[in-house]
Parts: sequence; C-alpha cells; structure tokens
Amino acid sequence: MRNPFGRRSVTDLSPPAKLGAFVVLLFWAFVVLFPIYWLLVTSFKTPYQVDKGPFYVPFVDFQPTLDAWRYILVELGNDTLRPYLNTVIVGLSSSVIALLMGAAAAYALVRFTYRPRVGAIGLAIGSVAFAFIATALGAPFFLAAGSGVAIFAILAQAIGRRFTRAMGNSDIAFWLISQRILPPIAVAVPLYVLYQQIGLLDNIVALIVTYVAANLPIVVWLMRDYFASLPRELEESAAVDGASVYRIVRSIVLPISAPGLVATFLIVLVFAWNEFLIALVLTSANAQTMPLQVAAQNATRGPQWWAMSVLILIMITPVVAMAVALERFITRGILVGALKG
Amino acid sequence: MVSRFRSIAAAIVPILVLTACSPTASPSASSPPASTGTASTPPSAPAASASQVAAASPGTKFKGVNVNILTFNGPQVAEPLQRRAPDWEQLTGGHVNVVAVGFQTIYDKALLDASTGTNSFDAYVFDPQWMGDFTGPGYLLDLTDRVKNDPQLDWNDISAFHRDFNATYNGKVYTIPLDGDFHMVYYRTDLLAKDGLKPPATWDDYLAIAQKYNGQDLNGDGQPDYGSCIAKKKGAQSYWWIISIAAGLLQAKGTNDGAFFDTSNMNPLFGPNEAMTKALETYAKTAEFGPPDELNQDVGGSRGLFTTGRCALTMDWGDIGTLAPGTFAQDKTGATITPGWKQVLDRATGKLVACDATTCPNAVDGVNYAPFASFGGWSGAINAKSPKANQDAAYDFLSYMSSPAISAVDVTLGRTGFNPYRTSQFTNKQPWLDAGLSQAATDNYLGAIKSTLENKNMVLDLRIPLTKRYEQDVLDTAVSQYLAKELDAAGTEQAIADGWNAITDEAGKDKQLAAYVASLGVQR
Amino acid sequence: MASSDSSIDAAPQEPVPSGSALRVRAARQATGTLGAWRSDGAARWLFIWPAVLLILVLSIFPLVASVALSLSRLAFHQGGVDLKLIGFANYQQLLFGLERSHFLGVLRTPNLIGWAIVIATAALTAAAWIRSARSGRVRPMGLILRLIGGLLLLGSVWILVQALASDGGRPGALIVTLIFVFAGILFQYTLGLGLAMLLVQQIPWRRFFRIVFLVPLTITPVGVGYMFLMMTDTSKGPLEPIWVALGLRNFTWVTDPWLARLAVIIGDTWQWTPFVFIVLLAALESLDQEVREAALVDGAGRWQAFRHITLPAILPVTTTIVLIRLIEGFKIIDMPNILLGGGPGTATQSMTLQAYIDWNTLNLGRSAAIAYLLLILVSVVATVYVGFVRRRVTELA
Repeated sequence: MRNPFGRRSVTDLSPPAKLGAFVVLLFWAFVVLFPIYWLLVTSFKTPYQVDKGPFYVPFVDFQPTLDAWRYILVELGNDTLRPYLNTVIVGLSSSVIALLMGAAAAYALVRFTYRPRVGAIGLAIGSVAFAFIATALGAPFFLAAGSGVAIFAILAQAIGRRFTRAMGNSDIAFWLISQRILPPIAVAVPLYVLYQQIGLLDNIVALIVTYVAANLPIVVWLMRDYFASLPRELEESAAVDGASVYRIVRSIVLPISAPGLVATFLIVLVFAWNEFLIALVLTSANAQTMPLQVAAQNATRGPQWWAMSVLILIMITPVVAMAVALERFITRGILVGALKG
Repeated sequence: MVSRFRSIAAAIVPILVLTACSPTASPSASSPPASTGTASTPPSAPAASASQVAAASPGTKFKGVNVNILTFNGPQVAEPLQRRAPDWEQLTGGHVNVVAVGFQTIYDKALLDASTGTNSFDAYVFDPQWMGDFTGPGYLLDLTDRVKNDPQLDWNDISAFHRDFNATYNGKVYTIPLDGDFHMVYYRTDLLAKDGLKPPATWDDYLAIAQKYNGQDLNGDGQPDYGSCIAKKKGAQSYWWIISIAAGLLQAKGTNDGAFFDTSNMNPLFGPNEAMTKALETYAKTAEFGPPDELNQDVGGSRGLFTTGRCALTMDWGDIGTLAPGTFAQDKTGATITPGWKQVLDRATGKLVACDATTCPNAVDGVNYAPFASFGGWSGAINAKSPKANQDAAYDFLSYMSSPAISAVDVTLGRTGFNPYRTSQFTNKQPWLDAGLSQAATDNYLGAIKSTLENKNMVLDLRIPLTKRYEQDVLDTAVSQYLAKELDAAGTEQAIADGWNAITDEAGKDKQLAAYVASLGVQR
Repeated sequence: MASSDSSIDAAPQEPVPSGSALRVRAARQATGTLGAWRSDGAARWLFIWPAVLLILVLSIFPLVASVALSLSRLAFHQGGVDLKLIGFANYQQLLFGLERSHFLGVLRTPNLIGWAIVIATAALTAAAWIRSARSGRVRPMGLILRLIGGLLLLGSVWILVQALASDGGRPGALIVTLIFVFAGILFQYTLGLGLAMLLVQQIPWRRFFRIVFLVPLTITPVGVGYMFLMMTDTSKGPLEPIWVALGLRNFTWVTDPWLARLAVIIGDTWQWTPFVFIVLLAALESLDQEVREAALVDGAGRWQAFRHITLPAILPVTTTIVLIRLIEGFKIIDMPNILLGGGPGTATQSMTLQAYIDWNTLNLGRSAAIAYLLLILVSVVATVYVGFVRRRVTELA
C-alpha cells in the first residue's frame, strides 16, 4: 500500500511534515465539529439534564429523549414548517436573483467602461429622492429637509473629492460595497415604513427584494475578480465572428464561469438563509423565517437549549447538503477569478 | 406535562417514524395569507380543561370574526393561548390567531405596528408596564366598564393589587390580567429545618444564611455548592433584582408612595443616597456566595442551579414553585415574601433612618417589606383602533382566558408561565395538588404568594413613558458596571441619576411627573 | 478597425447606428475593452442598471430617513408618536456628553507606555510628511490632504492611548469594536491562510476537510452565539471538566474584561475563518506551480518560495477578502450580545450592540446616530485601505 503521507512531487512536503499537517487539520476539524456534536447531544436532553452538567454520550452518560424533537417537529408542526419553507424560498430565490443581477453588473464593470458624470449621479439620486418625497410619507417636512441636505452633502462630497477627474468603474464598485457598511439596525425602521407604504409588510417578497439588494455588492465584488481573469481572446474572437454580446455571455462566459457562479451562489445563499434583523422587523405571522425561531427560543425564563439545538440542526442540514454537492465547484470556481484581481 | 420516551438505538428512525405519523397538523382556517396566523395543533391538553368545555354545538356570537393576538413564542404564554383558542371558538364561533414573535421584540413590534397605523393586531398579550407608552398616544382600548360588568371575568376575584394598580392607568382599566409576576425568595426547606433557621426576613438575614451554606455540599454529589444564586447577566432580565433589594429601603408608605421617583419633584430615588449604596453593596455581596460565573448567568441558569440542588437560596418569579416537582428540589423548596429591611430612606435627607410606626407604617415585626411586582404579569390589552367586532371578540377571549375556572388550571402548570393572581387561586388548593406539589409545598408556596399579594406596600413596576429606557438602558448598564467594578457605588448612583434625569428632561419633566403620579394612583 | 467595419456590414440583421459603433471603437481604443459588438450599446446599460437601480432605490430612502432619524428624537404624546428634530444633540451626547464614556470610553492621562506610543507616532507621521513634501512629487492639494490625514491619525492614537494605556482609562464601544475587528481579521486571515496552505498538499481526506471546514459558515450568527454560550459555560458546558482539571473551578472568564473580549474574538474567528479559508484555498489551488517548483529545485527554501512567489500571487484576492471582512467585522453584534450582553459592564459592547440596545428601548435617534458614526469611521478606514492597497498592488504588478 502506498504511504498516504509519501512525497508525491517535488513541491510536496516531506512525509513527517505531511503527517504533522494532517494532525493539525484533524485538530481543526475537531474544533469545528465538536460544537455541532454538542448541539446534537443537547437536542436529546431534558431541561433538567442540561442543567445538571455536561453529559457527553447518549445511553452512556444520560438517557436521551426525543422530547425536543417532538416539540419542534410535531407539536409546533406548522409553526416550524412555515418558517422553514419561507427560509428555503426566500434564500434560494434571493440568491439566484442576486447572482444573475450581480454577475451581469460585474461583467459590465469588467468589460465595459463607465464614466459616470457627477451631474448624472446627482440627477439620479435627486430624482429617486424626489419620488419618495412626492409620495408624502408620515412626516414630509423632516423628510424633505433631510433629503435636501443629504443630496447636497452627497453632491458636495462627490465633487469635493474628485473635481479633477470623473469617476470610473472602481468608484462604482466601491459605492456598491459601501452599501454594506451601514449596520442593518439603522435601516430597519425606515425599511419597515417603506414596505408598509407599499403594503408588503409580513410578505416574503419584501424579504426577497431586500436580500437581493443587500447581497448584490458581495456578488459583484466576488465575480469581478473572477471575470477579470477570464481570457479575453475567447470573447474577442467570438465577437469578431459576429456574435452579439448576449450570445457571447450565454454560450462562452457563463459556461466557463459556472464554477465561480456556483461558489458565489453558495456564499450569498448562506447570507440570505441566516439573516436575522431585517426578517425580524419586516415579518410577523406569515413571513417568519427560521433564524427568528432560533432566537425566539430565548424565552422569558432563559434560553431553551434543547429546542434551539434542534432548530439549528435542521436549519443547517440543507445548506451543508448543498455545500457537499457543490464543493468541487467551489474550489475550482473562485480559484480562476483570484488570479489577477 | 412533559412525557418521556425511551429511544431505540438508531436515533434517526424514531424521528422519521414520528414525523411521518405526526398528528394531523391541520390548521382550522385556510384563510388568505394576509390574515392567517399561527393556528397550531394543541398538544396533549390536560383532562381538566377538556371537561370545562361543555359546549355541544358551536356558538355563533362571534362567527366570522378573526382575532389576531400578538404574543411571544412559547411555550410560556403562547401555549395556553393556543391550547384554549379552539375551545373558545367552539363556544363563540370566533377564531383566534396567535401571532408569536420573540419575547424581546414584542414591545418593538407592538409599538411599531400601532404607531405606524398598520394595526395588524387586535390584541396584545402584554407587559402592563408598557402601558405608559401605549396609553398616552391612545393605542389601548378603555376596558373599565366592560370588566366591571363581566360575570365571566369575575373582576373582584382578581387580587386588589392587580385590579387597582396593574391593570389600571390614570384611573381607567386597560388590561385583563392573565398572570401575576412578582419576586419571591426561595429557600431549601430541608437545610433550614435541619439547622433550625427561619426563612430570611431581612436582606441581612439572607446574606447570613447564604454565607452559612456557601461552600457546603448541598445536594450530595461531593461538590461544594452555593449559598445564593441570583442571575446577574447584563441585557437579560437581571436589572429587576436590584429593584427588589432596594425597594424595601425606598418605599414604606404603600404602593402610592412609589419606589422609583420622588412623587413631588421627580427626583430619582435610585440615585446618590444611603439606601442605594446599601442596596448595591448587598447585591454585590450576594455574588460572593454564588457561582463564579454568576455575572453572566441568566434566570434559566440560576433556576437550574436551584432545582438541581446547588443553591440554598435564590430569588425568582413564581416559576420555581411549579418547576420543582420532578427535580432534586422537589419537596425541599420553600417560598417566602421578598426580604425587607429594618431601615428606610428619608427622602428629604437621603439618609437611612430606623423603621418605626411613622416611617414604616406597613412594617411587620419591625421589618418593612416591599415585594416588587416585577414586570407586572402578562395581561391582555386591546387595540383601540381595531373594528368593534374584533374588539368585542378579543375582549371575550381574554376574559375567557382569565376566568376563574380556566386560569385556575393554567397557573398550576409550570409550562404556561402563568403564576397566581386571583384570590381563588390561592384558596383552592386542589389544582396544585393535582399538578404534583405536596400538601406542605402547596401550603408554603401559596402562603408566600398570598402574603405578597395582600401586602399593602407592594411595589409597582415603573410604568411611565420610556420606561424601557430608564430600566433597560440606564439601570441595567450602570448596575452591571458596578458589578464588574467599572464604577464604584457613588459613580453608579450618579450614573443612574444622571441617565434618568436626562430621559425625564427629554420627555418633559412635568409630563413625566404627571404620568408617574397617575400610574401610581388608584380610583375605586 | 477593418474587422469591425466588415462585421457591421456582414450581418445586417442586427443593425447598429453608426454613431454608437464609433463610440464603441473609441472607447475600446481608449481603454482596451472588448470591441465590435453589435448590441454593445444596449448591453452596457442593460447589464449594469438593474443592479444599480435596485440598490439606489432601496438605499436612498433608508439612508436619508436614518440621517433624519439621527437628527431627531422620538416623542410620545396624546394622539400618536412624533419625530422631533433636535439637530446634532444625539451626536453631541455620544461624543462629548452623557454617553461619551460608553461610546468613546473613559479617557485619562496616558501612562509612560502611552506617551511613548504617542510620541513615536507623532515622530513617524511628521517624518513621513516631511519626506513627501521634500520629494517634490506631491502636489499642494495632496500635501494638505496628507497633513489632515496625519492629524487625524494622531488624534485617533491619542484617544486610543488615553483609553487603553492610561491610569484608569477604559475603552468604549468604538475602541472595543476596533479591537474586535483588527484582532479578528488577524486571526481569521492567519488561520484561513494556514489551513488553506496545508490543504493544498496531497493529504489524505482532503475533500472531507474542505467540506467540514465550511460548516461554521452555514449556521445563522444568532445560533452560533448561543452555541458558544453553551460551549463556554464553565459550570455546565462541555469544557467544564477541563476547566476543573486546570484548577480553575472557582475562576471564571466572564468577570475579566480582556478574557471576555477574547471569548468574543474566539467565537468570531471560529465562525468566519471558513469564509477566508475557502477563498484563499481556491486561490492557492489555481496557482501555476511551475515557478514554485523551479525555485524549490534551485534550492530556495520553502519560506522564501512562499514569501516571494506564493504571497504576491494571492495578494489581490487577499485584499478583497480583507476588505469584505473589515466591512462586515465592524458590524459585529451577535457574538458579544448573546455571550455577555455587552458585559462585564461595557467591556464587550460593540458599536452596533450599543445601537441595538438603544433601538430596543426605542431611542431610535441615538441608535441612528451611532450607526452613522460607524458609517463615517468605516468609510474612512475602507477608503484609506483601498487607496493604500491599490497603490501597493499596482506597484507590484
């Protein structure tokens, strides 16, 4: 039998070093998996057993029970199923949409040149802001005043920093990622008011739209790296042969970049799947998602560890399954994009 | 009502089997998504409740009415509401949707819903402490006439404190009590009996008992245990304990006296004075007799320590009484009214004076007790902007939930989170015995509750606008800084006073004073 | 170019106005992007506008509304709830007023070490500025900007020192957040890179490890917080026997501010290392091994090969991932909130957590003000970082 730690090539580590590496990896795998194991074990305990102290092995240390599982899956039945379905639908659809929109934008930022004029930006912002003012929300005075000041501030800042040159692609990209700087807590109540005006409160459509907007910057930044490293010759020769840009994207770029798309999809899926605060504010009865159920296990008299463990375990199962299925793409995916970002 | 299973070797199979054969989770209404709430299947309901409902044919009083009630994820509070909803529907034809959100977020959700005019809820199961923020803008329906003329509710059976103080604001009734929340001190009857000690009457007694038992093995497992377990985690619910400790020093002349502010000038009583120093020092001292990580322990943790026999003393709401059966602490748990003090604060001078007939008119054996109705007790309130039919239906359901027969059962079940609040609930002992408490434990537990509820010096929780900021923002932060030794006592008191004064000034001192006085008043 | 002209003539079924073709050609010549696409003009806007428009629409209103919120105060009164404009009072409270000790910290005179740090920073900054002034390569505007930047840096170091290296000083939410972010990124990047380097070797069970290392990322942050709360409970958590065996039965980490911060950093690292790891792993896997093999065969040491060949090659993706973690890291809230509630005292209270506490008690104005101060801080940091990095990377390329 071949020595599993044997040297395969000249760049490989020596066998003892490889063994050492393996041990280190095993250790980190243990660090990662032990808390998950603890969750599993806790889900089979009664409250009294949890309070009494650490018990590690079912049947050896303590008598396991299915109470928590029964409570979550059977007694709460629909109250668990509905948020679960919501999470799946919201997570998958918002990730797919974000991926499509974001990849398109990333490709555009890499292949086309934009020179947004400050005036054009100001006009865009001004018109959107005006649209909101025109719908006359609860306190139009402060909103109008606030918008006016803010628009002026944005314009002034834009001009002040860059009066020697117009902005470019990288500025658009920076603007996109800067959308993620403001903590969700600041925009929670304004979003609530916004969706209330549209009548989309407690509706998963509101969640999908918000998550797409929130995760677009991540998609754009990750895919930008990737697209920039694709060999241009393929696309250019296709263009020379007379293909339209849509044809090129559809039949050349997408297939080659499928791995990168899948990798980004997984990351964005995780972000949407696990989002808590915006879901908390925008939903009440019908559109609740699973993270809310997990947090809600912190009941009036303390966290209910057993039920919480069950919820977390059932929440991560589909995502981990997807990760297993798509793992081979992840590696080969982001890789090509990372060459010369 | 937790049933136990014996699991077979492969864990997965039973789960699959169970989920496959789950009882039909059929929601009773398949109404359009916008109004569908969480009508979930009732779990194994106790036989007692089923026998209460004698309806043969469904009633029609509220047929077609959909009541949306906002409360929090259970099992506490949400469970009994969901369990009883089908029974009520049988009686009246009205449908109840229990919308459950996380417990910490009820306040935000209710207020956001009401203040933006969304009005998607007809009723809230509520902390009456928040009335200050809700009644000002007129979000709650005035229930005074309804409750006084409602035979199903039996208003006069509810303890005077809950009727006249908790449910009332500015002379009007706004909530229907479903639960009675106040602090009590629990002790290990076996330990105290063995050493011939009486339950602590003052906080000095408490500290003495705690010191005595600290470090001894109290549950026979060979490990040293603790004298006192009081959860002190920041951002959990710990900031109420300091109020319980300080209350006896701050309020002596009855509930109208108030324990938070001076009723004449809105001066914070939780500020630089000797009473506050004493309370803070006592609070910090209890930590010396507790587990090393007590500063990060939440109520679930300290409760767990007591039920597993690792504490001699603890302070809690009413839950421990009903949670003790089935644990180490079964038949070893005693409850007593929150300890008081033999001194009281002279508000004019800021100094402590001894208790006598003038300074402490409500003292018992020279000790001024001031049990703190922390949190108030979950109550139902009705949205003033809902359609009349919904309001009537919501009222009827809440009245049904609070009715003597129904609530008598629910308060005996630890799982419901409901604790006694009606006179009939501590005179009729049978439901308690049915729930598994021994006669002695029942007598002791109910006796403590009775003496608390009948105490004329009970402390009402702060119910003025922005109450959450006073307590959760300023008080919680300052006290945890004191415990973490970031601030000393003087600095802590100053921080609380400054913080409270800032909030008062922001909201308008006269308005807050008026609201404070109104929240303490009673009109029969 | 000739080819583009002929392609326009050759396929009349997708006609394009000549004006746009000229623009395309000009743009392509100017910047080297792809050329000669028939429907190039429409595609330019079609690809980018949906994303930009969605974000614009959904970000403008909340941005403006939350600025307005930060300048106002929620007031309850008869008839409803009002938002009263109070100008900068919320900001004033945070930076100079009642909340200053929570937000900035307790600032006291620096001790010896503190003074040393301040003086050293001042000297280095002054030297750098003088050098750039004397080099003649920097324009006056640039010099002024650098001067401002230097002063800002010095001011920040002054505040940091007053809080951390002084007698009786105590860091507030802002400084605690900075600690979390920088320590977090340091650990996450080092761990992520180390693990990725190891997993690039031909080691048994590679695939298993790669999947397992992804798992922490899949758990919702609130769930991770509670999980760590369970794990770090030294009385009934799984580590209790170890704790007791070390003789620490009566000692706890929850009362010590630095140990508490460490616990938060450990939890944060556990959760986010997979993110860094998987991106770096992919980058490493894609590297062309020939150069490295040649170097090793020629006798270069492993460390040299790493430093001069591998590290520069993964620099671009490193900068992206560090930027993302930077921006996300400043928003840390769940771990300190669930583990300790921001305690002991205020030792682990991050800025977002402070904003959350304010939000939860309906102090929406101050909550928004904290969020905006965070926005300003992170924007500055991100801009400096991107500017600094871009220059370095282009220098290397």
